[in-house]
Amino acid sequence: MSAVPVSPVPSLQARSAATAPMPSASASLDWGRLGGVLLVLAIAIALPFFTSDYRLFQATMALIMAIAVLGLNMLVGYNGQLSLGHGAIYALGAYTTAILIDQASFPWWATLPVAGLVCFVFGFLFGWPALRLKGHYLALATFALALATPQLLKYKLLEPWTGGVQGIVLTKPEAPAGWPISSDQWLYGITLAITALMFLLAWNVLRGRLGRATIAIREQPIAASAMGINVAYVKAMTFGISALYTGVAGALGAVAAAFVAPDSFGMFVSVFFLVGAVVGGLGTISGAIVGGIFIQFVPNVADQISKSAPSAIYALFLILSMYVMPLGFVGLLTKLLRRRRRAPR
Amino acid sequence: MFFNLLQQIASGVAMGGIYACLGLALVMIYQSTNHINFAQGEMAMFSTFIAFVLLKAGLPYWAAFIATVAFGFVSGMLVERVVLRPLKNAPELSVIVVFIGLLVGVNSLAGWIFGHQLETFPSPFPDKAPFGTTLVSAHELGTIAVALVVVTVLYVFLRFTRIGLAMRASAENPVSSRLSGIPVSRMLSLGWGLSAAIGSIAGLMVAPVVFLDPNMMGGVLIYAFAAALLGGIDNPWGAVVGGIIVGVVENLAGTYVVGSELKLTVALVVIVGVLLIRPSGLFGRKLVARV
Amino acid sequence: MSELLKVKNLEAFYGPTRVLQGIDFHVAEGGITTILGANGAGKTTTLRAISALIKTRGEIWFDGKRIDGLSTEKIAALGIAHVPDGRGTLVNLSVEENLRVGAYLRRDRAAAEADFERMYGYFPRLRERRAQQAGTLSGGEQQMLAISRALMLRPRLILLDEPSFGLAPLVIREIFDIMRRINREEKTSILLVEQNVARALELADHAYLLETGRTVMSGTSQELGANEQIRRSYLGF
Repeated sequence: MSAVPVSPVPSLQARSAATAPMPSASASLDWGRLGGVLLVLAIAIALPFFTSDYRLFQATMALIMAIAVLGLNMLVGYNGQLSLGHGAIYALGAYTTAILIDQASFPWWATLPVAGLVCFVFGFLFGWPALRLKGHYLALATFALALATPQLLKYKLLEPWTGGVQGIVLTKPEAPAGWPISSDQWLYGITLAITALMFLLAWNVLRGRLGRATIAIREQPIAASAMGINVAYVKAMTFGISALYTGVAGALGAVAAAFVAPDSFGMFVSVFFLVGAVVGGLGTISGAIVGGIFIQFVPNVADQISKSAPSAIYALFLILSMYVMPLGFVGLLTKLLRRRRRAPR
Repeated sequence: MFFNLLQQIASGVAMGGIYACLGLALVMIYQSTNHINFAQGEMAMFSTFIAFVLLKAGLPYWAAFIATVAFGFVSGMLVERVVLRPLKNAPELSVIVVFIGLLVGVNSLAGWIFGHQLETFPSPFPDKAPFGTTLVSAHELGTIAVALVVVTVLYVFLRFTRIGLAMRASAENPVSSRLSGIPVSRMLSLGWGLSAAIGSIAGLMVAPVVFLDPNMMGGVLIYAFAAALLGGIDNPWGAVVGGIIVGVVENLAGTYVVGSELKLTVALVVIVGVLLIRPSGLFGRKLVARV
Repeated sequence: MSELLKVKNLEAFYGPTRVLQGIDFHVAEGGITTILGANGAGKTTTLRAISALIKTRGEIWFDGKRIDGLSTEKIAALGIAHVPDGRGTLVNLSVEENLRVGAYLRRDRAAAEADFERMYGYFPRLRERRAQQAGTLSGGEQQMLAISRALMLRPRLILLDEPSFGLAPLVIREIFDIMRRINREEKTSILLVEQNVARALELADHAYLLETGRTVMSGTSQELGANEQIRRSYLGF
């Protein structure tokens, strides 16, 4: 995989790209990769059998974070645009679910597609004009969105739905009657299935028409447009899909935590997702898993050092990654593996 | 009723002065590097904490003020040298990520060193406004005065001094500037130092109004962005006008229209609105992309 | 006459691509040398290499001292003024401010002020427009401004990159006349890169022909002007 510059016109300088590309549209099945994926899947499936419920809950959250980070990565990898406001989309998904369960008595699993759809529409509508914005302007707009989200959620006029500052309390889903598993195990199983499905879909979309179109747009937007690709539509579509993923993650997160409140959706959520994306590998699919695990477990460990330690570690990773491993862990691993493969001379 | 309106406008102008200062700092960096310094607010907050420590140690206010501004200047230059210079040729997204990293890092550093409790911060201005007026508080009047001084000094510096000209030239056309012997990277450091110094002044003016804590500048930063965008991201004086407009609108909208809880949303609307309708702002240069 | 500028085996790189393959040439003290060649031959690259705007390898000697490896600013301070292709006008500054930028390194205030007047003397049109934003000037005026900005340095050597580009013949004549005057009166040496071969050979005393990063011909202007190949390929007769 060659590093792909983010700007539409490949410049001489952009070779040390922060984004690793999505696998090329013509990527044939790489047996090594498939083996790796199956191994990870096997471990994931085996997990409930030898860990405590609490750990399983954390694993569930890690998977949810991975889906959210994947949403962000799709935006970066496909559109070459960075959003600092995916926390707001996560909140939108979470609150959609919470309101549907609380006010409309939806079964929790039925809220997932609705949350996904709501976020998709939001992302599509936001993405249409946003395509015109240059990198840091979009970052700025989404940054403002993320900062304003808690205030919006606390707004008095919306209180009948959002529950105001207190938020909304939900009940954790129980395993179906008669099944000999705990609710944590049940939730983990469902989340794992959804995660696997969504990752598979993401990988597939790339190889299809939409994926090829986005790559064409990213590389040479003017030529792509001249060839008849509707740039605005494709970009808005990508934004929508990106929002859909993070929105579904938000919905799942609300169900898992059984609780939503405005102050859990501040700026830091968007920063978490950014950290996850960067650490795993900006713009990659597999990196999202690494990123999700990272942002779920680092606070647990670092919290014991000091209250500020998690943020400090995040900051360090954000800054250092851009110098040392611009392609994240996944990129680093890929580079190392490639070097080993070439080693015998 | 009308008096109330005037009061709100007056405090809007005062806050606007703060947004103008921070917005000015943002524009200066944007002009010279084409980057938005997302960490500008946190850097200002950190400097303000330094002032707090100095004041606690017994230093008189204006001595602490000067020391803080100097600290801001130096730390700005350091950040440019150490963090930004290696990224000179990096793609835009990398730089944004690093800025966010800086934001989080400075914020957590402040939290770790100074703690998370809210502190009260003194205002250098007397309790009673001149002539006993209740139209504006002394602090508001003082803030407006300080903002005016900062903007004027900066204007004179940039317009009429040799170094000021060199900074403007470096921001505008680094290659031509270097060919005339101007040390462009040094000018860049200087620009960062100045921006950070101005930012710390903004922090010092804001802290008495809201409480001093590591998250003090988050909202102020957004308003400063709105101000800079509204005025035209490449026009420093636009930021000043933008700041005043944003300050007044924010206050009036907060008081009369949407309630103070949605003030940040007002800023968000301004930002998104400007970006969609007229990205060059009120006074910025219209950029034409050559196809 | 001694060699003011001497270049030996100069290679230049844009990223990993080597654009100059190791060229040799020199500019005599007080002389005018021109580098000719088609588009993409490496003419502009040569000037950029001397000013250290790009990565180079090889030797560049100025006034007996090695300058390859020095920074662009340092090279300007040594007395090499570079008028870049495209003029390099600081478009948002005024005409006068553009000149002041050129005078950045000058320590002698009074003489620098006098030099402003001298520039306006060479190019009266600039005096008329001194308070105007430089970006509003015509192409010819911007070229005059760029040359003046370079002259404010009181350089020993001027690097001129395609001054005739996009200009009307009358304006070109005006500019070349001034260059000749400056060379004669100030004894400023000139290294001229030009696509307008006729004009360049008229002004210069020595010439080099560059083709894809290599010097393929060198000699006096008369020699090259009389050369069959040059006349057919570049002069059109």
